Amino acid sequence: MEKMIYSKLPVLATQHLGIQRQGSKQAEAFVKAFLKRSMPKMKDEAIQDKLTRKAVVLRHYLRRKKKEKRKKTKGFSAKQRREMQLFEIKPEQQKYELFLPLHELWKQYIRDLCNGLRPEAQPQMIQTKLLKADLHGAVVTVTKSKCPSYVGVTGIILQEMKHIFKIVTKEDKLKVIPKFNNVFSIEIDGFISYIYGSLTLTSLQSQDLS
Amino acid sequence: MSAPLRRLRETPRHLLVCERSHVRHERSRHAARVRGHAYNCRVSFLIPECGVLPEPLKSVTTDMGEYYLVKNLPLHELVAQEFISAFVKTGSCYALSYNTRIDQDNTAALLPTDCHSPLKHIGKLILSVDKDTYEELGLQGRPSRYSGKKIMRYIITIDLTDSAFHSDSKKYKRVLWALRDKKPLEFDFLLSWHHTGADGSTLMSYFSKHQIQAHQPKITFSTLRNLQCPVLCSNELQGKPEESCSAQELFEWLGAVFSNVELDNKSFSFVSTYCCPEPSTMMDQAYLCTITGFILPEKIIQLLDQLCAYFDDPKLAQWVTLTVHGFADSPVSWRENEHGFQKGGENLYNFVVFRSLDYWLQMAVGANDDCPP
Repeated sequence: MEKMIYSKLPVLATQHLGIQRQGSKQAEAFVKAFLKRSMPKMKDEAIQDKLTRKAVVLRHYLRRKKKEKRKKTKGFSAKQRREMQLFEIKPEQQKYELFLPLHELWKQYIRDLCNGLRPEAQPQMIQTKLLKADLHGAVVTVTKSKCPSYVGVTGIILQEMKHIFKIVTKEDKLKVIPKFNNVFSIEIDGFISYIYGSLTLTSLQSQDLS
Repeated sequence: MSAPLRRLRETPRHLLVCERSHVRHERSRHAARVRGHAYNCRVSFLIPECGVLPEPLKSVTTDMGEYYLVKNLPLHELVAQEFISAFVKTGSCYALSYNTRIDQDNTAALLPTDCHSPLKHIGKLILSVDKDTYEELGLQGRPSRYSGKKIMRYIITIDLTDSAFHSDSKKYKRVLWALRDKKPLEFDFLLSWHHTGADGSTLMSYFSKHQIQAHQPKITFSTLRNLQCPVLCSNELQGKPEESCSAQELFEWLGAVFSNVELDNKSFSFVSTYCCPEPSTMMDQAYLCTITGFILPEKIIQLLDQLCAYFDDPKLAQWVTLTVHGFADSPVSWRENEHGFQKGGENLYNFVVFRSLDYWLQMAVGANDDCPP
Protein backbone atom coordinates (compact mmCIF):
# COMPACT_ATOMS: atom_id res chain seq x y z
CA MET A 1 0.00 0.00 0.00
CA GLU A 2 2.77 2.40 1.00
CA LYS A 3 4.57 1.62 -2.17
CA MET A 4 1.57 2.55 -4.16
CA ILE A 5 1.38 5.95 -2.50
CA TYR A 6 5.02 6.87 -2.79
CA SER A 7 5.65 5.43 -6.23
CA LYS A 8 5.88 7.71 -9.20
CA LEU A 9 2.86 8.21 -11.24
CA PRO A 10 3.01 6.22 -14.46
CA VAL A 11 3.91 8.34 -17.47
CA LEU A 12 0.70 7.30 -19.18
CA ALA A 13 -1.37 8.72 -16.41
CA THR A 14 0.51 12.02 -16.35
CA GLN A 15 0.03 12.51 -20.02
CA HIS A 16 -3.59 11.68 -19.65
CA LEU A 17 -4.20 14.16 -16.84
CA GLY A 18 -1.96 16.86 -18.25
CA ILE A 19 0.27 17.06 -15.18
CA GLN A 20 3.71 18.35 -15.78
CA ARG A 21 6.54 17.24 -13.68
CA GLN A 22 8.22 20.15 -12.03
CA GLY A 23 11.87 20.69 -11.42
CA SER A 24 13.09 20.79 -7.84
CA LYS A 25 13.65 24.58 -7.85
CA GLN A 26 10.28 25.23 -9.20
CA ALA A 27 8.79 23.00 -6.57
CA GLU A 28 10.56 24.84 -3.85
CA ALA A 29 9.41 28.21 -5.06
CA PHE A 30 5.90 26.88 -5.33
CA VAL A 31 5.88 25.61 -1.75
CA LYS A 32 7.23 28.93 -0.47
CA ALA A 33 4.65 30.92 -2.29
CA PHE A 34 1.93 28.57 -1.16
CA LEU A 35 2.88 28.80 2.49
CA LYS A 36 3.24 32.56 2.28
CA ARG A 37 -0.18 32.84 0.83
CA SER A 38 -1.87 30.60 3.32
CA MET A 39 -0.10 32.09 6.39
CA PRO A 40 0.35 35.77 5.54
CA LYS A 41 1.09 36.81 9.08
CA MET A 42 4.05 34.55 9.59
CA LYS A 43 7.48 35.83 8.81
CA ASP A 44 9.64 34.22 6.20
CA GLU A 45 12.29 33.12 8.63
CA ALA A 46 9.69 31.41 10.81
CA ILE A 47 8.38 29.52 7.86
CA GLN A 48 11.84 28.52 6.85
CA ASP A 49 12.50 27.42 10.37
CA LYS A 50 9.48 25.16 10.25
CA LEU A 51 10.70 23.68 7.00
CA THR A 52 14.01 22.51 8.38
CA ARG A 53 12.79 19.16 9.37
CA LYS A 54 13.11 18.12 12.86
CA ALA A 55 12.48 14.70 14.14
CA VAL A 56 9.48 14.63 16.40
CA VAL A 57 8.92 11.46 18.26
CA LEU A 58 5.29 10.95 18.70
CA ARG A 59 5.39 8.96 21.87
CA HIS A 60 4.39 9.67 25.46
CA TYR A 61 7.50 10.06 27.44
CA LEU A 62 7.46 9.45 31.20
CA ARG A 63 10.09 11.36 33.04
CA ARG A 64 11.03 9.41 36.05
CA LYS A 65 12.47 11.23 39.05
CA LYS A 66 15.59 9.89 40.35
CA LYS A 67 15.21 8.95 43.94
CA GLU A 68 17.62 11.03 45.95
CA LYS A 69 19.19 9.24 48.73
CA ARG A 70 18.28 10.76 52.07
CA LYS A 71 21.09 12.32 53.92
CA LYS A 72 21.60 10.68 57.21
CA THR A 73 20.95 13.10 60.08
CA LYS A 74 24.06 13.67 61.97
CA GLY A 75 22.58 14.77 65.29
CA PHE A 76 19.91 13.37 67.51
CA SER A 77 16.25 14.01 67.18
CA ALA A 78 14.56 16.36 69.60
CA LYS A 79 13.03 13.43 71.37
CA GLN A 80 16.38 11.74 71.77
CA ARG A 81 17.87 14.93 73.07
CA ARG A 82 15.15 15.22 75.60
CA GLU A 83 15.57 11.66 76.67
CA MET A 84 19.29 11.99 77.02
CA GLN A 85 18.85 15.27 78.89
CA LEU A 86 21.51 16.91 76.78
CA PHE A 87 20.42 20.42 77.63
CA GLU A 88 19.84 19.89 81.28
CA ILE A 89 22.37 21.52 83.52
CA LYS A 90 23.64 19.22 86.17
CA PRO A 91 23.02 20.34 89.72
CA GLU A 92 26.72 20.37 90.57
CA GLN A 93 27.31 22.75 87.70
CA GLN A 94 24.67 25.21 88.76
CA LYS A 95 27.18 27.61 90.26
CA TYR A 96 27.13 31.33 89.76
CA GLU A 97 30.92 31.61 89.74
CA LEU A 98 31.16 29.00 87.03
CA PHE A 99 29.28 31.23 84.67
CA LEU A 100 31.02 34.50 85.43
CA PRO A 101 33.48 33.95 82.54
CA LEU A 102 30.49 33.49 80.27
CA HIS A 103 29.21 36.83 81.44
CA GLU A 104 32.58 38.45 80.68
CA LEU A 105 32.44 36.90 77.25
CA TRP A 106 28.96 38.24 76.71
CA LYS A 107 30.00 41.73 77.73
CA GLN A 108 32.83 41.56 75.23
CA TYR A 109 30.40 40.42 72.57
CA ILE A 110 27.97 43.24 73.26
CA ARG A 111 30.77 45.79 73.18
CA ASP A 112 31.85 44.48 69.81
CA LEU A 113 28.29 44.44 68.59
CA CYS A 114 27.69 48.05 69.52
CA ASN A 115 31.12 49.16 68.31
CA GLY A 116 32.34 49.85 71.82
CA LEU A 117 29.78 51.22 74.20
CA ARG A 118 30.38 54.91 74.33
CA PRO A 119 28.29 57.14 76.51
CA GLU A 120 27.36 59.33 73.56
CA ALA A 121 26.02 56.38 71.61
CA GLN A 122 22.37 56.46 70.73
CA PRO A 123 20.41 54.43 73.23
CA GLN A 124 17.86 53.52 70.61
CA MET A 125 20.46 51.89 68.40
CA ILE A 126 21.86 49.93 71.31
CA GLN A 127 18.41 48.85 72.23
CA THR A 128 17.61 47.45 68.82
CA LYS A 129 20.92 45.63 68.76
CA LEU A 130 20.41 44.25 72.24
CA LEU A 131 16.98 43.00 71.35
CA LYS A 132 18.41 40.91 68.57
CA ALA A 133 21.57 39.93 70.36
CA ASP A 134 22.27 36.62 71.93
CA LEU A 135 21.45 36.90 75.59
CA HIS A 136 23.35 33.89 76.88
CA GLY A 137 25.58 35.13 79.65
CA ALA A 138 23.74 38.37 80.31
CA VAL A 139 22.90 39.39 83.85
CA VAL A 140 19.20 40.12 83.88
CA THR A 141 16.76 41.27 86.53
CA VAL A 142 13.03 40.86 86.36
CA THR A 143 11.66 44.35 86.91
CA LYS A 144 8.03 43.85 86.10
CA SER A 145 5.98 40.76 86.16
CA LYS A 146 2.39 39.72 86.26
CA CYS A 147 3.35 37.28 88.97
CA PRO A 148 4.89 39.25 91.83
CA SER A 149 7.20 36.51 93.02
CA TYR A 150 9.31 36.76 89.88
CA VAL A 151 10.01 40.43 90.49
CA GLY A 152 13.55 41.10 91.59
CA VAL A 153 15.09 37.81 90.52
CA THR A 154 18.61 38.45 89.22
CA GLY A 155 20.98 36.06 87.53
CA ILE A 156 23.03 35.03 84.51
CA ILE A 157 21.12 33.60 81.57
CA LEU A 158 22.31 30.09 80.90
CA GLN A 159 19.78 28.96 78.39
CA GLU A 160 17.23 30.61 76.28
CA MET A 161 14.32 28.74 74.85
CA LYS A 162 11.34 29.96 72.92
CA HIS A 163 9.27 30.73 75.96
CA ILE A 164 11.64 30.71 78.90
CA PHE A 165 14.97 31.82 80.21
CA LYS A 166 16.94 29.60 82.52
CA ILE A 167 19.03 31.71 84.84
CA VAL A 168 21.35 30.98 87.73
CA THR A 169 21.11 33.33 90.67
CA LYS A 170 23.80 34.45 93.07
CA GLU A 171 22.48 31.90 95.55
CA ASP A 172 23.47 29.21 93.02
CA LYS A 173 19.89 28.38 92.22
CA LEU A 174 18.65 27.59 88.76
CA LYS A 175 15.44 29.39 87.98
CA VAL A 176 13.20 29.06 85.00
CA ILE A 177 11.56 32.33 84.11
CA PRO A 178 8.89 32.63 81.45
CA LYS A 179 9.33 35.44 78.97
CA PHE A 180 5.69 36.16 78.63
CA ASN A 181 4.25 38.91 80.85
CA ASN A 182 7.69 39.73 82.22
CA VAL A 183 9.92 42.73 81.69
CA PHE A 184 13.65 42.23 82.08
CA SER A 185 16.32 44.80 82.64
CA ILE A 186 19.83 44.34 81.35
CA GLU A 187 22.65 46.48 82.62
CA ILE A 188 25.87 46.88 80.71
CA ASP A 189 28.45 49.61 81.21
CA GLY A 190 25.92 51.99 82.68
CA PHE A 191 23.29 51.39 80.04
CA ILE A 192 20.17 49.89 81.51
CA SER A 193 17.72 48.64 78.96
CA TYR A 194 14.36 47.09 79.53
CA ILE A 195 13.37 44.19 77.37
CA TYR A 196 9.80 43.09 77.15
CA GLY A 197 9.85 39.35 77.32
CA SER A 198 6.95 38.96 74.95
CA LEU A 199 9.01 40.63 72.20
CA THR A 200 11.75 38.02 72.36
CA LEU A 201 9.34 35.18 71.84
CA THR A 202 11.17 33.94 68.76
CA SER A 203 12.66 30.56 68.42
CA LEU A 204 16.41 30.68 68.46
CA GLN A 205 16.88 29.59 64.87
CA SER A 206 15.20 32.71 63.59
CA GLN A 207 17.26 34.98 65.75
CA ASP A 208 19.70 37.08 63.84
CA LEU A 209 23.06 36.35 65.33
CA SER A 210 24.98 38.85 63.29
CA MET B 1 -32.26 59.42 75.00
CA SER B 2 -28.96 57.81 74.11
CA ALA B 3 -27.73 54.80 76.00
CA PRO B 4 -24.85 56.39 77.94
CA LEU B 5 -27.08 59.22 79.10
CA ARG B 6 -29.67 56.78 80.29
CA ARG B 7 -27.00 54.87 82.16
CA LEU B 8 -25.94 58.11 83.87
CA ARG B 9 -29.46 58.71 85.09
CA GLU B 10 -29.74 55.26 86.56
CA THR B 11 -29.06 55.08 90.25
CA PRO B 12 -26.06 52.85 90.96
CA ARG B 13 -26.52 50.00 93.36
CA HIS B 14 -26.43 51.04 96.99
CA LEU B 15 -26.99 49.20 100.21
CA LEU B 16 -28.58 50.23 103.46
CA VAL B 17 -28.40 47.83 106.37
CA CYS B 18 -30.54 48.59 109.41
CA GLU B 19 -30.39 46.94 112.78
CA ARG B 20 -32.09 47.62 116.07
CA SER B 21 -30.89 46.90 119.59
CA HIS B 22 -30.44 48.39 123.01
CA VAL B 23 -27.29 50.26 124.07
CA ARG B 24 -27.04 48.41 127.36
CA HIS B 25 -27.78 45.02 125.84
CA GLU B 26 -24.89 42.71 126.52
CA ARG B 27 -24.75 41.43 122.96
CA SER B 28 -25.20 44.78 121.37
CA ARG B 29 -22.63 45.27 118.68
CA HIS B 30 -22.74 49.01 118.31
CA ALA B 31 -19.23 49.53 119.68
CA ALA B 32 -17.82 46.86 117.38
CA ARG B 33 -19.53 48.49 114.42
CA VAL B 34 -17.99 51.85 115.27
CA ARG B 35 -14.55 50.35 115.80
CA GLY B 36 -14.81 48.43 112.57
CA HIS B 37 -15.20 51.63 110.63
CA ALA B 38 -11.70 52.99 110.95
CA TYR B 39 -11.56 56.10 108.79
CA ASN B 40 -14.13 58.76 109.49
CA CYS B 41 -14.05 62.21 107.99
CA ARG B 42 -17.25 63.72 109.32
CA VAL B 43 -19.35 63.24 112.41
CA SER B 44 -22.59 65.09 112.85
CA PHE B 45 -25.25 64.80 115.49
CA LEU B 46 -28.72 66.23 115.65
CA ILE B 47 -30.56 66.77 118.90
CA PRO B 48 -34.15 67.95 118.59
CA GLU B 49 -35.57 70.35 121.15
CA CYS B 50 -32.17 71.35 122.41
CA GLY B 51 -30.82 74.89 122.61
CA VAL B 52 -27.59 74.48 124.56
CA LEU B 53 -25.42 71.43 124.77
CA PRO B 54 -24.96 69.90 128.22
CA GLU B 55 -21.43 70.40 129.53
CA PRO B 56 -20.08 66.80 129.31
CA LEU B 57 -21.29 66.44 125.74
CA LYS B 58 -19.74 69.75 124.82
CA SER B 59 -16.37 68.81 126.27
CA VAL B 60 -16.32 65.54 124.31
CA THR B 61 -17.25 67.41 121.15
CA THR B 62 -14.48 69.93 121.52
CA ASP B 63 -11.92 67.27 122.38
CA MET B 64 -12.03 64.97 119.39
CA GLY B 65 -8.28 64.54 119.38
CA GLU B 66 -5.52 65.87 117.23
CA TYR B 67 -4.51 64.34 113.97
CA TYR B 68 -1.42 64.82 111.90
CA LEU B 69 -0.72 65.34 108.25
CA VAL B 70 2.68 64.13 107.08
CA LYS B 71 3.77 65.21 103.64
CA ASN B 72 5.64 62.84 101.29
CA LEU B 73 6.14 60.06 103.76
CA PRO B 74 7.88 57.05 102.17
CA LEU B 75 5.73 54.03 102.70
CA HIS B 76 8.56 51.92 104.06
CA GLU B 77 8.59 54.12 107.16
CA LEU B 78 5.31 52.53 108.14
CA VAL B 79 6.72 49.02 107.99
CA ALA B 80 9.92 49.87 109.87
CA GLN B 81 10.35 47.80 112.99
CA GLU B 82 10.76 50.84 115.24
CA PHE B 83 7.47 52.23 114.05
CA ILE B 84 5.66 48.93 114.51
CA SER B 85 6.95 48.37 118.01
CA ALA B 86 6.45 51.99 119.06
CA PHE B 87 3.00 52.63 117.67
CA VAL B 88 1.27 49.74 115.94
CA LYS B 89 1.71 47.19 118.69
CA THR B 90 1.22 49.49 121.65
CA GLY B 91 -1.89 51.41 120.67
CA SER B 92 -4.27 51.94 117.82
CA CYS B 93 -2.42 53.61 115.02
CA TYR B 94 -4.45 54.93 112.12
CA ALA B 95 -2.97 56.10 108.86
CA LEU B 96 -4.66 56.91 105.59
CA SER B 97 -3.13 58.33 102.46
CA TYR B 98 -4.42 61.81 101.81
CA ASN B 99 -5.53 63.26 98.47
CA THR B 100 -5.24 59.94 96.72
CA ARG B 101 -8.15 58.77 94.65
CA ILE B 102 -9.19 55.21 95.12
CA ASP B 103 -10.18 54.67 91.51
CA GLN B 104 -7.05 55.99 89.83
CA ASP B 105 -4.18 56.46 92.30
CA ASN B 106 -2.32 54.17 94.60
CA THR B 107 -3.80 54.30 98.06
CA ALA B 108 -2.50 53.10 101.39
CA ALA B 109 -4.15 52.65 104.75
CA LEU B 110 -2.94 51.32 108.05
CA LEU B 111 -5.62 49.57 110.04
CA PRO B 112 -5.15 49.77 113.80
CA THR B 113 -4.53 46.99 116.21
CA ASP B 114 -7.88 46.33 117.75
CA CYS B 115 -7.38 45.34 121.35
CA HIS B 116 -11.06 44.50 121.77
CA SER B 117 -11.14 41.85 119.12
CA PRO B 118 -7.64 40.46 118.73
CA LEU B 119 -8.59 38.14 115.93
CA LYS B 120 -10.04 40.80 113.71
CA HIS B 121 -8.01 43.40 111.91
CA ILE B 122 -4.72 43.48 113.69
CA GLY B 123 -2.40 46.17 112.48
CA LYS B 124 -2.63 45.61 108.77
CA LEU B 125 -1.27 47.79 106.05
CA ILE B 126 -3.58 47.81 103.07
CA LEU B 127 -2.39 48.98 99.69
CA SER B 128 -4.72 49.48 96.81
CA VAL B 129 -2.50 49.82 93.75
CA ASP B 130 -2.99 49.98 90.01
CA LYS B 131 -1.83 47.21 87.72
CA ASP B 132 1.50 48.71 86.71
CA THR B 133 2.56 49.44 90.26
CA TYR B 134 1.53 45.98 91.33
CA GLU B 135 3.62 44.38 88.62
CA GLU B 136 6.64 46.42 89.59
CA LEU B 137 6.22 46.14 93.33
CA GLY B 138 6.62 42.39 93.57
CA LEU B 139 4.38 41.87 96.57
CA GLN B 140 1.67 39.27 96.52
CA GLY B 141 -1.84 40.66 96.45
CA ARG B 142 -5.26 39.85 95.15
CA PRO B 143 -7.24 41.46 92.37
CA SER B 144 -9.74 44.06 93.40
CA ARG B 145 -13.32 42.84 93.40
CA TYR B 146 -14.54 45.84 91.48
CA SER B 147 -12.02 46.26 88.71
CA GLY B 148 -13.97 44.35 86.10
CA LYS B 149 -12.96 41.66 83.66
CA LYS B 150 -9.60 43.13 82.85
CA ILE B 151 -7.99 43.55 86.22
CA MET B 152 -6.55 47.02 86.66
CA ARG B 153 -6.36 47.23 90.46
CA TYR B 154 -4.91 45.00 93.11
CA ILE B 155 -5.17 44.92 96.87
CA ILE B 156 -2.08 44.06 98.88
CA THR B 157 -2.48 43.31 102.56
CA ILE B 158 0.55 43.26 104.84
CA ASP B 159 0.05 42.05 108.37
CA LEU B 160 2.43 44.14 110.46
CA THR B 161 1.83 42.39 113.76
CA ASP B 162 2.26 38.90 112.39
CA SER B 163 4.72 36.87 114.45
CA ALA B 164 6.58 35.99 111.24
CA PHE B 165 7.04 39.67 110.48
CA HIS B 166 10.18 40.35 112.49
CA SER B 167 13.30 42.06 111.28
CA ASP B 168 15.14 38.86 110.31
CA SER B 169 12.34 37.14 108.49
CA LYS B 170 12.35 36.69 104.76
CA LYS B 171 8.88 38.17 104.52
CA TYR B 172 9.89 41.36 106.27
CA LYS B 173 13.01 41.75 104.15
CA ARG B 174 11.01 41.26 100.99
CA VAL B 175 8.43 43.87 101.98
CA LEU B 176 11.10 46.35 102.98
CA TRP B 177 13.02 45.74 99.77
CA ALA B 178 9.90 46.16 97.67
CA LEU B 179 8.79 49.38 99.34
CA ARG B 180 12.21 50.95 99.79
CA ASP B 181 14.38 49.82 96.89
CA LYS B 182 12.19 48.35 94.20
CA LYS B 183 9.35 50.81 93.95
CA PRO B 184 9.56 53.63 96.49
CA LEU B 185 6.05 54.85 97.09
CA GLU B 186 5.36 58.14 98.78
CA PHE B 187 2.12 59.43 100.14
CA ASP B 188 0.78 62.29 102.17
CA PHE B 189 -0.56 60.58 105.25
CA LEU B 190 -3.20 61.42 107.74
CA LEU B 191 -1.98 59.93 110.99
CA SER B 192 -3.47 59.45 114.36
CA TRP B 193 -2.58 57.36 117.33
CA HIS B 194 -4.79 56.35 120.19
CA HIS B 195 -3.20 55.03 123.31
CA THR B 196 -4.59 55.38 126.79
CA GLY B 197 -2.20 57.31 128.96
CA ALA B 198 -0.03 58.55 126.14
CA ASP B 199 -0.12 61.68 124.12
CA GLY B 200 -0.34 61.73 120.36
CA SER B 201 2.59 64.11 120.24
CA THR B 202 4.99 61.12 120.33
CA LEU B 203 3.89 60.58 116.76
CA MET B 204 4.88 64.11 115.94
CA SER B 205 8.33 63.73 117.42
CA TYR B 206 8.83 60.39 115.67
CA PHE B 207 8.15 61.92 112.27
CA SER B 208 9.90 65.20 113.05
CA LYS B 209 12.27 64.57 110.13
CA HIS B 210 9.37 64.83 107.73
CA GLN B 211 6.98 67.68 107.19
CA ILE B 212 4.38 67.08 109.82
CA GLN B 213 1.52 69.32 110.82
CA ALA B 214 -0.93 68.91 113.66
CA HIS B 215 -4.57 69.61 112.96
CA GLN B 216 -7.64 69.94 115.10
CA PRO B 217 -10.99 68.72 113.87
CA LYS B 218 -13.19 71.55 112.68
CA ILE B 219 -16.41 71.94 114.59
CA THR B 220 -19.49 73.83 113.41
CA PHE B 221 -22.59 74.32 115.50
CA SER B 222 -25.92 75.49 114.32
CA THR B 223 -29.42 75.68 115.68
CA LEU B 224 -32.17 74.85 113.25
CA ARG B 225 -35.42 76.71 113.90
CA ASN B 226 -38.91 75.40 113.21
CA LEU B 227 -37.81 72.06 111.90
CA GLN B 228 -40.30 69.45 110.90
CA CYS B 229 -39.16 66.10 112.29
CA PRO B 230 -40.52 62.68 111.47
CA VAL B 231 -42.15 60.72 114.26
CA LEU B 232 -40.28 57.55 115.09
CA CYS B 233 -41.19 54.53 117.08
CA SER B 234 -38.26 52.49 118.33
CA ASN B 235 -40.04 49.16 117.83
CA GLU B 236 -41.05 49.88 114.29
CA LEU B 237 -38.00 49.78 112.06
CA GLN B 238 -40.23 49.45 109.03
CA GLY B 239 -42.56 52.21 110.18
CA LYS B 240 -46.32 52.04 110.41
CA PRO B 241 -48.64 54.09 108.23
CA GLU B 242 -50.16 57.00 110.17
CA GLU B 243 -48.10 56.19 113.26
CA SER B 244 -44.36 56.36 112.60
CA CYS B 245 -41.82 56.71 109.84
CA SER B 246 -39.53 53.96 108.64
CA ALA B 247 -35.75 53.93 109.06
CA GLN B 248 -35.27 54.51 105.36
CA GLU B 249 -37.48 57.61 105.38
CA LEU B 250 -35.57 58.97 108.35
CA PHE B 251 -32.28 58.35 106.60
CA GLU B 252 -33.42 60.29 103.59
CA TRP B 253 -34.74 63.12 105.74
CA LEU B 254 -31.46 63.34 107.68
CA GLY B 255 -29.56 63.68 104.46
CA ALA B 256 -31.80 66.56 103.48
CA VAL B 257 -31.34 68.26 106.87
CA PHE B 258 -27.55 67.93 106.82
CA SER B 259 -27.31 69.40 103.37
CA ASN B 260 -29.67 72.28 104.19
CA VAL B 261 -32.37 71.35 101.74
CA GLU B 262 -35.58 73.31 102.15
CA LEU B 263 -38.22 70.92 103.27
CA ASP B 264 -41.35 72.98 102.74
CA ASN B 265 -41.92 72.06 99.08
CA LYS B 266 -42.97 75.54 98.00
CA SER B 267 -44.77 75.74 94.71
CA PHE B 268 -42.24 78.16 93.22
CA SER B 269 -39.18 76.13 94.21
CA PHE B 270 -37.85 74.05 91.36
CA VAL B 271 -34.75 72.83 93.16
CA SER B 272 -36.30 70.26 95.38
CA THR B 273 -39.74 68.91 95.91
CA TYR B 274 -38.73 66.91 98.92
CA CYS B 275 -40.68 67.34 102.14
CA CYS B 276 -40.64 65.74 105.53
CA PRO B 277 -42.11 62.24 105.63
CA GLU B 278 -45.43 61.81 107.41
CA PRO B 279 -46.30 61.68 110.24
CA SER B 280 -44.20 64.52 111.53
CA THR B 281 -44.11 67.05 114.32
CA MET B 282 -42.89 70.59 114.38
CA MET B 283 -39.84 71.27 116.53
CA ASP B 284 -39.07 74.74 117.76
CA GLN B 285 -35.40 74.19 117.47
CA ALA B 286 -32.87 71.45 116.87
CA TYR B 287 -29.19 71.41 117.61
CA LEU B 288 -26.93 70.34 114.78
CA CYS B 289 -23.21 69.89 115.29
CA THR B 290 -20.77 68.78 112.61
CA ILE B 291 -17.16 67.78 113.20
CA THR B 292 -14.84 67.27 110.27
CA GLY B 293 -11.34 65.86 110.35
CA PHE B 294 -9.63 62.53 110.80
CA ILE B 295 -11.74 61.21 113.62
CA LEU B 296 -10.93 58.05 115.50
CA PRO B 297 -13.59 55.44 116.31
CA GLU B 298 -12.57 55.61 119.98
CA LYS B 299 -13.67 59.24 120.09
CA ILE B 300 -16.91 58.42 118.35
CA ILE B 301 -17.67 55.81 120.98
CA GLN B 302 -17.10 58.45 123.67
CA LEU B 303 -19.42 60.78 121.83
CA LEU B 304 -22.04 58.06 121.50
CA ASP B 305 -21.83 57.33 125.23
CA GLN B 306 -22.35 61.00 125.99
CA LEU B 307 -25.31 61.14 123.65
CA CYS B 308 -26.83 58.25 125.56
CA ALA B 309 -26.10 60.04 128.81
CA TYR B 310 -28.06 62.97 127.41
CA PHE B 311 -31.23 61.08 128.29
CA ASP B 312 -30.21 60.67 131.95
CA ASP B 313 -32.16 63.81 132.77
CA PRO B 314 -35.66 64.04 131.41
CA LYS B 315 -35.62 65.73 128.01
CA LEU B 316 -38.17 66.83 125.46
CA ALA B 317 -36.47 65.04 122.60
CA GLN B 318 -37.67 61.58 121.64
CA TRP B 319 -34.48 60.63 119.92
CA VAL B 320 -31.06 61.92 118.85
CA THR B 321 -29.05 60.96 115.81
CA LEU B 322 -25.35 60.54 115.21
CA THR B 323 -24.14 60.27 111.64
CA VAL B 324 -20.61 59.29 110.71
CA HIS B 325 -19.25 59.61 107.20
CA GLY B 326 -16.26 57.58 106.08
CA PHE B 327 -13.61 58.82 103.69
CA ALA B 328 -14.84 58.36 100.16
CA ASP B 329 -11.37 57.35 98.98
CA SER B 330 -10.39 55.00 101.74
CA PRO B 331 -9.55 51.48 100.51
CA VAL B 332 -11.69 49.84 103.18
CA SER B 333 -15.10 50.53 104.64
CA TRP B 334 -15.82 48.22 107.54
CA ARG B 335 -12.89 46.19 108.77
CA GLU B 336 -11.13 44.90 105.68
CA ASN B 337 -14.12 45.10 103.38
CA GLU B 338 -13.02 46.57 100.13
CA HIS B 339 -14.29 49.99 99.30
CA GLY B 340 -14.56 51.60 95.88
CA PHE B 341 -15.73 54.88 94.54
CA GLN B 342 -17.71 54.57 91.31
CA LYS B 343 -20.13 57.48 91.72
CA GLY B 344 -19.99 58.75 95.26
CA GLY B 345 -17.81 56.50 97.36
CA GLU B 346 -20.21 56.89 100.24
CA ASN B 347 -19.74 54.73 103.28
CA LEU B 348 -21.51 56.01 106.34
CA TYR B 349 -23.50 54.94 109.32
CA ASN B 350 -26.14 56.54 111.43
CA PHE B 351 -27.25 55.92 114.98
CA VAL B 352 -30.69 56.88 116.16
CA VAL B 353 -30.74 56.66 119.95
CA PHE B 354 -34.16 56.73 121.56
CA ARG B 355 -35.11 57.96 124.97
CA SER B 356 -35.35 54.36 126.18
CA LEU B 357 -31.73 53.84 124.95
CA ASP B 358 -32.95 51.58 122.20
CA TYR B 359 -31.04 52.39 119.08
CA TRP B 360 -31.24 51.97 115.36
CA LEU B 361 -28.07 51.58 113.41
CA GLN B 362 -28.13 52.25 109.70
CA MET B 363 -25.10 51.43 107.59
CA ALA B 364 -24.99 52.55 104.01
CA VAL B 365 -22.51 51.95 101.23
CA GLY B 366 -22.33 52.81 97.56
CA ALA B 367 -21.88 50.71 94.47
CA ASN B 368 -18.36 49.35 94.82
CA ASP B 369 -18.55 48.06 98.35
CA ASP B 370 -18.96 44.85 100.18
CA CYS B 371 -22.07 44.57 102.26
CA PRO B 372 -21.65 46.20 105.68
CA PRO B 373 -21.31 43.73 108.55
